[in-house]
Amino acid sequence: MAEVFGVLGLFESADALLAAIPGLRARNLGRLEAYTPYPVHGLERALGQRRSPVGGMVLVMGILGALTALAFQWWVSAVDYPLVTGGKAAGSWQAFVPIMFEITVLSATFTAGLGMLLLLNRLPFFNHPVLHSRAIRGITRDRFALAVEAEGAFDPEAASAALAASGAREIEVLPAPGRGEPLTARSILDVLAGIAGACLVAGFLAYWVVKLAPVLPPVSHMLDQPRLDPQRPSAFFRDGRGMRPPVPGTVARGCLPIRLASPEAAALLVNPLPRTPEVLARGRAEFEVRCAVCHGVLGNGIPTLSAAYGAKPANLMTPAMRQTPDGTIYGVIVLGKNAMPSYAADLPEADRWAVIHYLRALQRAQNARDEDLP
Amino acid sequence: MRAGRTSPLLWGATALGAAGMLAAYFVSGAPRFWANWLVWYLFLLSVALGALFLVALEHLVAARWSVPLRRIPERLACLLIPLAGVGLAALGAIPVLYPGARPEAAADPVLGGKAVWLGLPFFSVRVAVCAALGLLALGVLAGGSLRQDQEPGPRFTLRARRFAPAAMAIFALAVSQAAFDWIGGLAPAWYSDVIGVYLFSGTFLAGLAATTLAVLHLQDRHRLPEIRFDHLYSLGGFMFGFVVFWAYIAFAQYLLMWYANLPDEVWWYRARTLGAWLPVALLLAFLNFFLPFFALATRDAKGDGPRLRWVSVVLLAAHWLDMYWLVFPALGATPLFAWPELGFALFFLGASLLWVRGAMARGADMPVGDPFLQEGLRFRL
Repeated sequence: MAEVFGVLGLFESADALLAAIPGLRARNLGRLEAYTPYPVHGLERALGQRRSPVGGMVLVMGILGALTALAFQWWVSAVDYPLVTGGKAAGSWQAFVPIMFEITVLSATFTAGLGMLLLLNRLPFFNHPVLHSRAIRGITRDRFALAVEAEGAFDPEAASAALAASGAREIEVLPAPGRGEPLTARSILDVLAGIAGACLVAGFLAYWVVKLAPVLPPVSHMLDQPRLDPQRPSAFFRDGRGMRPPVPGTVARGCLPIRLASPEAAALLVNPLPRTPEVLARGRAEFEVRCAVCHGVLGNGIPTLSAAYGAKPANLMTPAMRQTPDGTIYGVIVLGKNAMPSYAADLPEADRWAVIHYLRALQRAQNARDEDLP
Repeated sequence: MRAGRTSPLLWGATALGAAGMLAAYFVSGAPRFWANWLVWYLFLLSVALGALFLVALEHLVAARWSVPLRRIPERLACLLIPLAGVGLAALGAIPVLYPGARPEAAADPVLGGKAVWLGLPFFSVRVAVCAALGLLALGVLAGGSLRQDQEPGPRFTLRARRFAPAAMAIFALAVSQAAFDWIGGLAPAWYSDVIGVYLFSGTFLAGLAATTLAVLHLQDRHRLPEIRFDHLYSLGGFMFGFVVFWAYIAFAQYLLMWYANLPDEVWWYRARTLGAWLPVALLLAFLNFFLPFFALATRDAKGDGPRLRWVSVVLLAAHWLDMYWLVFPALGATPLFAWPELGFALFFLGASLLWVRGAMARGADMPVGDPFLQEGLRFRL
C-alpha cells in the first residue's frame, strides 16, 4: 500500500467535532488535526495542543517596537538634532506617543501575522494533502473535518473505523504528498530576485511617468504654496516687496557693534581672543582673502596687484608697525586709513581680532631671532 | 439569601456616611460638600447610564449572546431612579461651584454672552429633561423586560428593538449633558469638543465593570449557573477594548491641548497635571489603562472570573478617581481627601448597594420570557 498521509473524517457541526476528539485522543491512533471553516474556540484545548507562543511573541515585539520608537525619536529630537518647535522642550515625551503607538501596533501585528503564518504554521504550503481531498469543499464551507495523521506505525483501517464510530459521516484516506522543503537557498534567492526585479520595474515606471512622460504631475503642494521669494514683488505686504528689511536697530546674533569715535579711542582696546592654532588659522584665512590683495601674502606691502594699483599699500612688517598697539590696527580695520576703506562690513568682530593675531605671527616670523628656533 | 446578614452593615454604613456628609457641610464648607456630591453623582450616573447603554446596545444590534446577562445591567440601570433626585439636588452646587452662574459672570466678555445657557434656570431644565428621558428609556427597556417575564413572547423584545435607536440618542444626550454641563461648566471659559466622548468611554467601562462584578457576585450565590466562560470572556474582551479606547481618547485630548498650548485651554491640564495633582493623574493612567490592559492582555485572563472581579473593582475605583480628578481641581491646587470624602463614599456606596440589591430581588435573574434566551445560553465563542 502506498504511503498514507492520514485519514479524514467529516462532521456536521463543531459540537460533533469537539465531542469526537476525546475518544479518538484516548485511542492514540495518530496525530489528531482539525480542519474547520472558521476558528472553533476550545478546539486547541480539546486537541491538547500546547499554548501558542504567538501571544508572547506579540508582547515582546510590541514592547520592543514601543521602546524603539521612543528611543529613536528621543535620540533624534533631544540628542542628534535638538530643535525647539512650538515652544516645546527638546525630547518632550508627549510628542512621541502617537509614533510609539503606531510602531507598537505595526510590530505587534506583523509579528502576529508573519509569525503565525510563516514561522509556526510554515506556510505557504501549496500541496497540502487536505487541499486535494474530496472533503475540502465542505471544509471551506460548512463541514468540520478531523484528521488522524500518520505517525509511527499507522493503521489506516483502524483509524477509519474509529472515526466512523465517533460519528464522522464521510471517511477519506489521503495519500502522502511529496512535500518539498519549504525554504531552500534557491527559493529564498528566487523571492529576493523577484522583489528586486519588481522594485526595478516599478522604479523605472515611476521615473518614466514623472520625468519622461509627465501624464500625471507629481504632487506639488510644496511648490505651489503661497510664499515670499527673494527679489520678487509680493502682494502680501502693503509696500509690495517680498523681502522684508530688518527692523531698525536689528543686530545679528554675536555681532554687537563697537562704536569707535576715533583712532585714539581704538588704541586702548585689547585683543580679547586667545592665541590658539584655531584663531591663527582663521586669521590667516581672512588675511589672505581680505588683506593680502593689497598688503601682500607676507604683509610687506608688495602684492601682485601693486603695479596696476595707484596707491602704495602700507608695509606691515616695519619696526614702527611692530610697535603699533593691537587696538590701533583694529581701528584701521574698522575705520579705514588714507586710501584703505573700512573693512567693518566684511570682517565680523571676532575675525578682525583673529587677523591681528595672525599679523603679529607674520611679523614675528619675518624678524625671527635665534631663540625662536626650536 | 444572605441579605439578612449584610443588611444591618449596609444600613449602618449608609447612616454613618449620611452623618459624615452633614458634618462635612458645616465643618468643611459648601464647596467641598458639593464637589463630593458631584463626584458621586457623576460616578453613579456613569454606572447606571453605562448599564443602560449595554441593554440598548444589545437591542440595537439584536445581539443574542448577552440575552442571559441582560437582567443584570437592567437592574443596575434602575439606579437612574434615585439618581434623578440626586441630580436635581446637585443643582445646589450651581451657585457655589459654577462660575458661569454667578452674578459677576454677566460682566465677563466671554461668559456674559453665555449667561442664559450657564444660568441656573436653563441648567435645571437640561438636567430635568435628561433625567426624564433616562427614566423613559429605563421604563421601556427594563420595565418591558420585567413584564416579559409574565407574558413570554417576542412582543417586548421587538418593542425594545424598535426603541433602541431612540435609547441610544437619549444615552448620547444624557452623557453629553453630564460632560458639558456638569464637568465643563466648572470651567466655562475652557472648552474641549471631546469631553463628551471622554466621559462616554469611562461610562461604558463603569457600566461594564459593574455588570461583570454583579454577574460574578450572583454566580457566587449560585444564581446564574448557566453563565459560562464564553459569556465572561465576551465581557472581558469588551472591557479590554474599551480600556484602550479610554486611554486613546484621554491621551488624544491631552496631546492636542499640550501641543496647541493655547492659554485658554492648557491651564485646565496645568491645574490637573502639575504639583500635587500629578500623582493623581499618574495613578489614574495606571489604574484606568496600564494595570487593566496588562491584566486582561492574555486570552485566558479575559474569561477568568477571579481576575475579572479584581479588574472590575480597579476600573470602578479608577472611574471614581477620574471624576474626582475632573471635579476637585476646581477647589484648589491641593487634592483634598479626608473624612468628608470617606463619609460621602460610605453613604453613596451603601445607599446604591441597598438600592441595587432591592432591584436584584425583583423578577427572575434572566429574562425568562425572551425568545432568544435559549440561543444566548447556547452561545459559544
